Amino acid sequence: MLVVNVASQCGLTPQYEGLERLQRRYGSEAFSVLGVPCNQFAGQEPGTPEEIQAFCATTYGMTFPLTDKLDVNGRHRHPLYGWLTSMPDVDGRAGEVEWNFEKFLVSPSAEIVARFRPPVEPEDERVIHAIEETLP
Amino acid sequence: MTVAPTMIPASEVRIGDRLRTRSGLELTVTRVDDVFMGRPEMLAFVEDSEVQWLKMPALGDNEVELVRRPGYSD
Repeated sequence: MLVVNVASQCGLTPQYEGLERLQRRYGSEAFSVLGVPCNQFAGQEPGTPEEIQAFCATTYGMTFPLTDKLDVNGRHRHPLYGWLTSMPDVDGRAGEVEWNFEKFLVSPSAEIVARFRPPVEPEDERVIHAIEETLP
Repeated sequence: MTVAPTMIPASEVRIGDRLRTRSGLELTVTRVDDVFMGRPEMLAFVEDSEVQWLKMPALGDNEVELVRRPGYSD
């Protein structure tokens, strides 16, 4: 599973296109993208869950699931992110999510296997390689 | 009458300043990161408090909207 905090009004929002292609490419192989709407980055995800879902479906043809809006950083962050952010990135930095569209790859056995910072595109070869390594 | 917002250079923001993001949300700065997503020309202002965690990046030479500064009256 690729867990990604998403936002509808960010310069990185077009990453939805690559995320959806990953979903269609690997969605039948024990893999899914999971979008986590979050409004903690400059308030770029202001809509309701229904509005976010509609925006993603109509703009990007999104078929992967979204959670409710969650906090990913701070004292009220969701426990999922307390766990995910223990994973360091390629530079060895763990801790806070830096911005919208940070990606955590979780294996089918529920191990966090990789963390990709927001500028890394969903179809970057490093992401593809890591996903294919986790597939059964 | 519309009151013009107070704009200050991002590089002059201090801890405790109350800022408004372009989306209209406000944050009280508790931390300033001097690099944002690997870009040293950008800053990021963070409120990490019991009230909220909110991040707002800005180019160092751009202006940001100051809502309130401790010690100054409107």
